[in-house]
Amino acid sequence: MQDKLREIVRKMLSDGDIEYFVGYCQGSEAHRIVPCFVTEESEVEKLVWGPLCLQNLSKYVLRTRDLDGKVGVLVKGCDARALVELIKQHQLERDDFVVVGVACEGQVDPRKLERELGVPLEQVGGIEDGGDEFLVHVGEETRKVAKEAVLRDKCFFCKHPPSFDCDYTVGEPEPFTIESDRSEFAGVEELEELPLEERRAFWRKQFERCIRCNACREVCYACYCTECLFDRNVPRWLDRPPLLEENEIYHLIRAVHLAGRCIDCGECERVCPVGIPLSRLYKKVQKDIAELFDYQAGMELETVPPLVNFDLDDQDPFL
Amino acid sequence: MKDNIYLPSIATVKEVRPETPDISTFVVTFDESELRESFTYRPGQFAELSIFGVGECPIGIASSPTAEGLLEFCVRAVGTVSNAIHDLEVGDKLGVRGPLGNSWPTKEIEGKDLLFIGGGIGLPPLRSLIRYVLDKRDRYGAVQIVYGARSPQDLVYKEELREWDECPDVDLHVTVDVGDETWEGPVGFVPPFLKEINPAPENKVAFTCGPPIMIKLVVDALGEMGYADANIITTLEMKMKCGVGKCGRCNIGDKYICRDGPVFSFEQLRKIPGALEV
Amino acid sequence: MEKKKITKADVTRWLDQIAEKYELIGPTEDEDVVQFRPVNSGAELTLDYANSLIPPKSLFFPQVEGLFSFQKRGKEIELEEAGPLERDRVVVGIRKCDVESLSLLDRVFLDDVEDALYKERRERTALIALACPTPPRASCFCTSFGIDPLSPKGSDILLTDVGEVYLVDVVTEKGEQLVAVAESLFSKVTEKEAQDLQPPPVEMPELDLSELREKLETLWEDGYWEKLSLPCLGCGICTYVCPTCHCFDISDVGSETDGVRYRCWDSCMYNDFALMTSGVNPRPTKRERIRNRYFHKFSAFPSRYGTNYACVGCARCLVHCPGGVEITEVIKDILAKEGVSEG
Repeated sequence: MQDKLREIVRKMLSDGDIEYFVGYCQGSEAHRIVPCFVTEESEVEKLVWGPLCLQNLSKYVLRTRDLDGKVGVLVKGCDARALVELIKQHQLERDDFVVVGVACEGQVDPRKLERELGVPLEQVGGIEDGGDEFLVHVGEETRKVAKEAVLRDKCFFCKHPPSFDCDYTVGEPEPFTIESDRSEFAGVEELEELPLEERRAFWRKQFERCIRCNACREVCYACYCTECLFDRNVPRWLDRPPLLEENEIYHLIRAVHLAGRCIDCGECERVCPVGIPLSRLYKKVQKDIAELFDYQAGMELETVPPLVNFDLDDQDPFL
Repeated sequence: MKDNIYLPSIATVKEVRPETPDISTFVVTFDESELRESFTYRPGQFAELSIFGVGECPIGIASSPTAEGLLEFCVRAVGTVSNAIHDLEVGDKLGVRGPLGNSWPTKEIEGKDLLFIGGGIGLPPLRSLIRYVLDKRDRYGAVQIVYGARSPQDLVYKEELREWDECPDVDLHVTVDVGDETWEGPVGFVPPFLKEINPAPENKVAFTCGPPIMIKLVVDALGEMGYADANIITTLEMKMKCGVGKCGRCNIGDKYICRDGPVFSFEQLRKIPGALEV
Repeated sequence: MEKKKITKADVTRWLDQIAEKYELIGPTEDEDVVQFRPVNSGAELTLDYANSLIPPKSLFFPQVEGLFSFQKRGKEIELEEAGPLERDRVVVGIRKCDVESLSLLDRVFLDDVEDALYKERRERTALIALACPTPPRASCFCTSFGIDPLSPKGSDILLTDVGEVYLVDVVTEKGEQLVAVAESLFSKVTEKEAQDLQPPPVEMPELDLSELREKLETLWEDGYWEKLSLPCLGCGICTYVCPTCHCFDISDVGSETDGVRYRCWDSCMYNDFALMTSGVNPRPTKRERIRNRYFHKFSAFPSRYGTNYACVGCARCLVHCPGGVEITEVIKDILAKEGVSEG
């Protein structure tokens, strides 16, 4: 699949269809895959594909808006939902970029992998897809790890935007399925069953650890405001120090701003250096939006996000 | 300065002089009598002015140290702190932390002819040096001042400009970008105005302060007129916070504008990567 | 420098005793993340760890620190500074890279205009360093900066884990005072014994940085920075986890009648860091800001303070960058450059 990908990109560059291609390439350690911008045919060899290609590269399409020249981007089905939303939210025009969709058989959550293997990630030499398992190279041996044990949470409920057409595909991208008795909102329901005080205590404990590095905001495709409300000085909504009360407000406001737009890519939780389980917060917002408006972000190009729309039949139990 | 380098001293506003619709001069004295007597500074230095609860902002000291017991600050109301300073009345108090930064090279320029080129709110930092020079007149050569503002209303130190105009020892030229019914003087931007006046570079040091675009064009003009970079001196504006070279905010290259500056010659600035992109 | 040894069990007892007289701070693990926190006993510590997320610079230059409080009554304003630290402090488990970073931060905070808050913390804190294990974390590259992870230099005591016991290097008088807190738990070690127990030098891939500054300074206008800035998200994690970063913001909180002026960490990677009220921004895009970061670490800081590079090779920035910017790769790219190019 890597070869096919490189062939496609090479041709696009040499034909002058694109100036930049945003894909994945190998970082300085085997287990670390990083986003890369390829502009020359000679760099195409760097592009890779595998179960550790975790970043949502759609964000980088926004980044290249200021650059001269068309951009091409590699997307997994889940990440393509961000492109659908960006088009709906008038941030991108479909014709401005080229999409290469890649078939994905599930991605690895590095934290889960480390726990499962019992060795530090740095000892992992590479990971391949093996159908029901991942083949993980650790030192001299190759260990077979059941996918269910190390998959990213979102992969259990893989969704592709049905109406989105890629310009090229590598493999045949289809939503990934796996037998499991997990339910999509189990993490949310567990918290919903707790009395309010315990729920509050859970989140307070998490937000106390937040250092307000803003990585969750910067990595989120939906946070594209040229001046974020939290950076404003006049009026000053939040100060910079990571005090608990301010952290709570930061996360709650961001969650509300993402309502109807969060595509469950999981990047916020992945990049959080202190490991706050942000996806549990955002899944709650997704659940509420689904229940109130029967809507999921990033699936259909034709639907309007519910919070910028109104319908006389809207439920409004919160009024 | 106290042990806690972030702790301001309390001062009281003695006089408020509106200069233009958005610029006023504030004359302040320290509350502590010992500090009033012992506080010294050099022309070109600045202080961080505090409005507690709002914040601090760096303002050049516009008075000359030859005027004892008081400090003058010329503040334009443009941000949260400067607007809060504009709400101060005589008798109100504020914090003053300083003196900070380096200063105009008063010793090195003795015996030379001096050319001051200012634009708008750029005149107050120059004024500290001009007043110092005029108070120690026999140490310095000819004094020439070229100043411009957006309109006659926006000229700062209108009284002083009249004083300098009447002084036989000072060659003053004032222009405005756009005139009005009352204005009888020259009209035009400072850089072309300067070229018309065409002051000769021999034995002369030029000091300039004003909006970045004006400085750029003025320096280009001075270069064309034969001024060496080492003899063109400016004071840089940068976002500052601590004022003592630690917080990194005013850092350009290996310099802290609050410690190694804000006064720099253009010879120095050309060697600092990124300084002239400001 | 006399060497001693202490068993693993006794180390905990010794630290318990220290915790009675001093504020004891060390690495503790909470949900897979190790941070330096104050503890009441040795058992709360986790000394079997790679490195902390937030570097221990936070103990000397805290993320949030009150500078003074202010009160306004009528026209009168009163300012009050915070009191001194309640107790002397002992930081245990600090790695050599982080010890080295403190020497670099000393140059900033203790230059000719001394920062009294930092100074007090530095003077009233003893450092019990913990030698790094072999092999070190794969991303570490401190030796490239001439740092020896087994060296006791800069700390008051160095503990080296040699299996059943810790070898104990007592470096300073402060260190001696700490040992004296529970003298009987330590046993002497002969020179030969010490030599036998001493682990071999820690080996890690090393970069030759002798030409880094010179090369870097030719690349100000190079197109490399534009390319490097593309994956950068401008989130600021690199500056928060970096042991040598020291930028901060000063701000007031409260009202005009009662409040506090504090300082807190800030990041040069944020768009509004150097943005002036007039609207002029000396570093308006990610390209200028990422270039500034590398120039600061490898050119401006050494130039201003006469030190080695302002990086200690801990690789925290590399490990945590969401955009995959890797400092080791940037260094290699700079060293490989032959003159200025478009990028």
